[in-house]
Amino acid sequence: MTLISYKGPRPKDVITKYGRCLELIPTDKRFNEISVGLYVKNSVFTIWSFSTKPGVEKRIEEIRDLLVSLGGMSPISGTHNQAKFDCGLIHNRPVRFLLSQAVGKDPEYAASTAVMEIKDSKSDLLIRAEGVDRDNIRYYQISATGEARNPAMRLRMIVAGFSKYGEMDKTGDQEVAFECRSNHDGLLRILLPYSRNVSSVETMMQAESMRGQMTTSTLGFSQT
Amino acid sequence: MPYQETMSPKERVMNALTGKPVDRTPAVNPTNVATVELMDLVDAPFPYACQDGEMAARLAATGYTELGFDSVSPYFSIIQESSALGCEMQWEEKDNWPTVRMYNPIWKSADDVKIPSDILEHRDMKAITDSIRMLKDEFGDEVAVIGKTMGPWTLAYHVFGVESFLLGTVDNPEETKRALEKLKEISVLFGQAQIDAGADALTFPDHATGDLVSGAYYKEFLQDIHTEMVDVLDVPLILHICGKTVDRMPYIAKTGMASFHFDSKNDPQEAMDAVDGGITLVGNINNPETLYARGPEEVRQEVYKCLEAGVQMIGPECAIPLATKIENLMEIPLAIKDWTAERRG
Repeated sequence: MTLISYKGPRPKDVITKYGRCLELIPTDKRFNEISVGLYVKNSVFTIWSFSTKPGVEKRIEEIRDLLVSLGGMSPISGTHNQAKFDCGLIHNRPVRFLLSQAVGKDPEYAASTAVMEIKDSKSDLLIRAEGVDRDNIRYYQISATGEARNPAMRLRMIVAGFSKYGEMDKTGDQEVAFECRSNHDGLLRILLPYSRNVSSVETMMQAESMRGQMTTSTLGFSQT
Repeated sequence: MPYQETMSPKERVMNALTGKPVDRTPAVNPTNVATVELMDLVDAPFPYACQDGEMAARLAATGYTELGFDSVSPYFSIIQESSALGCEMQWEEKDNWPTVRMYNPIWKSADDVKIPSDILEHRDMKAITDSIRMLKDEFGDEVAVIGKTMGPWTLAYHVFGVESFLLGTVDNPEETKRALEKLKEISVLFGQAQIDAGADALTFPDHATGDLVSGAYYKEFLQDIHTEMVDVLDVPLILHICGKTVDRMPYIAKTGMASFHFDSKNDPQEAMDAVDGGITLVGNINNPETLYARGPEEVRQEVYKCLEAGVQMIGPECAIPLATKIENLMEIPLAIKDWTAERRG
């Protein structure tokens, strides 16, 4: 018996070819629980899985296509697994949320083109983001309508959420822009539900990061 | 003269474990370096890789072939013996660790401790011994094969429940010692089976962790047992205890164990000072913050910090998070080699 008989590329080759792993989804619930990594090199994103199960290439292409339709990336021609932002930046933090959505959503999911708005999770406010172009820069004005105990405070928190998860710059009291100052409506749509409730998102991310960790706490060998 | 490696990975590890000279510090994984990506690479996902010898061997081999560590370790979890004893298991999925449902313990007192005569034939025990045989067949003396046998303190958590067992150490310490004496037979039985299968060294996790018990507890309940294990199990033993353990390191250093696998909650230099040459150390690259959440640069910094302190073997502090990025793990041996070259080149 030979233990070492790998069918696909080895990790060292993958890292050399596709760069560092920016985000890793441990199990794709839509396809054989394979792990899905988002690798990046020279601003080109590559969806990669070490799995060699039949159909994995098609699944990778589905995920790549969702990066394009949901996140506004452009596919790299001649590839089934690569895409990039036209602005040339990586958008490190929001792209992680994008990958999570791309792996989790039905491949047939159609990206919304409707107004960018969402109900607030902590009040009756309706939060809206509107893209505005000035001097070749895409700004996003954040507003809210409806009832809340302190709407101005809520709005400040939501804007702070965009800064945190979108790595966006605050360009006005209620205005943000991506680092590249380009139009990333797709990314903004992805960020809307996260930005409205930072504390819950932090709790969720903490719980996700603890999965698969072996600590005295997760083993039950701790008082905490 | 430029730095050149002159030893095989196994020779390097065995020398480091026994305090002999090495050509460079070895990268060692006493617990686990399997990740979900490596599981995909060799088609050996959890929990099956914990139940099947060939899958365990394939997955463990990647620690050497893909990551560049000097050792391989096919016992990924801490539950094989407890599963064989009949504990209620939660096997979980590919991306999470199998655990024992300790809220539903199988035993109440030392009198209940009964070791099935065919325990070594249980699927989850055989998975480990079979995998060690396969790894030895594959690699021979090229790479160190490190087995693992759980110590009686950890087994006691599993079979009695953590709270019940710890309360017993206060209410009836003699009963606790009796239970540990009986449970240690499992440690010996499984450890010897792995030695017979070809294990070059054994990790001996015994979770008298800094979070739960004091150094004085270690001395009272475990130091003698661990000393005895050194006489009974005839390969180098690597004691593993999580958490802040500096307070018990002087006691651990007197057990005769070959090495202590220590947690990142302990500063490397402080740990080296605490053991004062009485035992070698292996560790202690942080798992949750560094290996899981940061990048190769931060990993390298921690490796260098351990090397500067004189830690004899470098590896993750404990079983790594299963979603750890491969490049972070590959960075450990690379950083060791670079550090060595910088100083000897």
